[in-house]
Amino acid sequence: MQLLSKLKQRNYQIAIACIIVAVILAIWKPSVLIYGSQRAGLYASIAIPMALILGVVGIINLAHGQFMMLGAYLAYWISVSTGADPLVAMVPVFLAMFVVGMLTYRGCIKYVLKAPELNQLLLTFGLAMILEQLANLLWTSQPVKAHVGYASASASIGSFTFGTFDFVNVAMAIAILIALLLFLKRTRTGQAALAVGQNPRGAKLVGINIDRTYLLIFSISIAIVGALGALFLTRHSIFPLVGGTYTLKSFCLVAMAGIGNLTGVLWCSLGLGLAEAFIMSFKGYGGWADMVFFALIIIVIIVRSYQRRVI
Amino acid sequence: MKNWRYIVYAVVIVLAISLPFYTGAYHQHVATTILMFLTLALSWDMLIRAGQLSFGIAGFFGVGGYAAAITYLNWDISPFLSIALGGLAAFVIALVLGFAVLRLRGMYFAITTLALAEIFRVIVRNWSSLTGGPEGMVLPSTIFGGDSAQIYWLLLAIAIATIIVSEVFQRTRIHFALTSIRNNETVAKASGVDIFKYLVLAFAITSAIQGIVGGAYAQIYGFVSPEGSFHLDFTLLPLAMALLGGMYSTPGPVVGGLVLGIVAEYLKLQIPYGHLLVYGVIIVVVILFMPKGIVGTIRERLQRR
Amino acid sequence: MSTLETESLTKRFGGLTALNKVNFELRENEILGIIGPNGAGKTTLINVISGIYLPNSGKVIFDGKDITALPAHIRCRLGIGRTFQLIRPLENLNLLQNIMVGSLFGQGAGLREARKKAEEICEFLGLLQSERDITKLTVLEIKKMEIAHALATKPKILFLDEIMAGLNIDETKEIIEAVRRVRTQGVTICVVEHVMSVIKELTERVIVLDGGEIIAQGPYEEVSNNPRVISAYLGEER
Repeated sequence: MQLLSKLKQRNYQIAIACIIVAVILAIWKPSVLIYGSQRAGLYASIAIPMALILGVVGIINLAHGQFMMLGAYLAYWISVSTGADPLVAMVPVFLAMFVVGMLTYRGCIKYVLKAPELNQLLLTFGLAMILEQLANLLWTSQPVKAHVGYASASASIGSFTFGTFDFVNVAMAIAILIALLLFLKRTRTGQAALAVGQNPRGAKLVGINIDRTYLLIFSISIAIVGALGALFLTRHSIFPLVGGTYTLKSFCLVAMAGIGNLTGVLWCSLGLGLAEAFIMSFKGYGGWADMVFFALIIIVIIVRSYQRRVI
Repeated sequence: MKNWRYIVYAVVIVLAISLPFYTGAYHQHVATTILMFLTLALSWDMLIRAGQLSFGIAGFFGVGGYAAAITYLNWDISPFLSIALGGLAAFVIALVLGFAVLRLRGMYFAITTLALAEIFRVIVRNWSSLTGGPEGMVLPSTIFGGDSAQIYWLLLAIAIATIIVSEVFQRTRIHFALTSIRNNETVAKASGVDIFKYLVLAFAITSAIQGIVGGAYAQIYGFVSPEGSFHLDFTLLPLAMALLGGMYSTPGPVVGGLVLGIVAEYLKLQIPYGHLLVYGVIIVVVILFMPKGIVGTIRERLQRR
Repeated sequence: MSTLETESLTKRFGGLTALNKVNFELRENEILGIIGPNGAGKTTLINVISGIYLPNSGKVIFDGKDITALPAHIRCRLGIGRTFQLIRPLENLNLLQNIMVGSLFGQGAGLREARKKAEEICEFLGLLQSERDITKLTVLEIKKMEIAHALATKPKILFLDEIMAGLNIDETKEIIEAVRRVRTQGVTICVVEHVMSVIKELTERVIVLDGGEIIAQGPYEEVSNNPRVISAYLGEER
């Protein structure tokens, strides 16, 4: 518990820094603040489930973004065949992806938990490829989109108009975070999961069923990320390879925030989302925005490794 | 009894060198592609022998390709020199980045290499004045005028050179250094191994090899582009090959390369789409059921007798 | 004349002070014992001296040179050798190759020379069939391998971290003999142990660590009767 209070301190520091930056941006470049936070919401909501898996099960799922893509395509298929709204489709997609998560865990993840990290990385990498290619086979590489009217909702402040729908992502991210934190800290199953994450052997000794805990946490994460895919569909066109960037960015955020720090992911996403939007606001430099994300992450990881340095 | 091994090698080498004399252009092309990926697989394996997993093969492959293209287009040099410069560019970049990046281990290193590859691609896509931007660049001519036999020999030479480097890694003190680093860094340190030096060396050399192959690819097809030269295939296939054949040795990636290369070609003819799916499935299946790969599993069985 | 000394060596891990201003001296060609209850900082001391950890403050001086800032592999080459308490050999190398690593990088030998050296050391310690797979070794053989590995780096000082743990009486005797033979080759030896009989028999001088500080020094008989030492091991009512 000492660790938790320490993490919270760092979160507060990051939070204060972000607030200062937000105020500066609101005055200078409001579009950056708006779009930046919307993007941040998107990244955070996708990254938090990955942080959950990494913190409890201790495995990096390189197929994370690809599961989101799968959820998006499922939502697309549902919406095309039944005419349902993708947002409504989120519910069946959540359930379906929960099952997918269970099958994936039972089918392969379970077996590499004790194997060297290399095997885990390679296995999930292979899974990611399989998912991408399956999507390619089933739906071709042509981007598809769901057309929903409300997604283009907008508002204006003065002469400045912006899309408002994307704030859903921010709401989503916060909702997911709160829901997960409540689950982890207030329910018995959640507390058991936390215990397993901190000390699997100890948890086993007190009678917690580790395998079932891993299964539950893994499936919940996949379900959440799949449902987010349905949400994603409402605003973006999807194609089989769309998940890859999100896997990478999610990992970057999780690495930045530190393993086990779910709240930190939110703040780091905000920082990075704003940075991205900032770069994009300069005409002609838009293409570089993607790189900024990766470069910043690499810098943070490296600086972190210097701090933890033993020799 | 050990001599039979050398006889086999000699036969294989003779067959390999004489391949263009008994096959047509199509087979030579397939063989060239197999050699390319086989070389990349071997280079990937050489780094994993030190315990560092790289997902960034495509990154240095692309860097080599672009370096070769840029130097060839702007200076009056031979295609061979441009390929060598591709390797040199990859070597230098890996060396410089290595100092920062090789402090990382495990998944942090792996994801960082993936991120680096992405960064290279983004830089190339945006620095239009140097790289021709998103459309890429076309070279005025392809190497050897497109003669598939000579192209094949070029890649055979590169592959053989890489095999030699791999064997040097296996038979000299480098083997002891990399293996001890991979097994237990603390013990390695306490035994006098300069971990950082060996990691940087391995990273730079393997990246150089990837750059050379990338440069050759650019010269063979006469074309570089952000999507084409940094395609994830160049990371995925070699990985699958090394895994399938068996990591931590020279025969492993070679066998994996040959098997997967031939299977892939066959699949491509039978199933025009979805052959990439098979690679993903192979990776998953090998990790789950045969993590030591073909060569590794055979070796294990033989030892048990 | 001391081969190694530490000056006010301090090492903290977060809130825990593992070593607190330790001034420790190792004299040439002696066999020194370090004892102390669990968690006293014995292994940490070895780790800081051999370079696995950097101290928070203080110095490590070896043969008159300040080596505090030097990385572990350089210290090994300068002559600081050690064994590890939790022995995890390099699993992808066989017995002989494990030992060769020390010779190749700690001594800087070429491949053939390293092999010869490793075989010599195996003979010296009584390790037979040196090309064996390390998973097939007995406990005694693993311990010998650990010592051999350290010896291969041609150390001037050898730290043995609880090397006797898990050995029976005969095996312990064998190791004690081996350690004595190593000393006759001019190596200074520092033995960290819990097995008091070994300390009594093998060492000439003993240092007692408790809570990261040296609480007593001297020959074993003196130290073992020191009330502070006794209470450190048995606990005291405050």
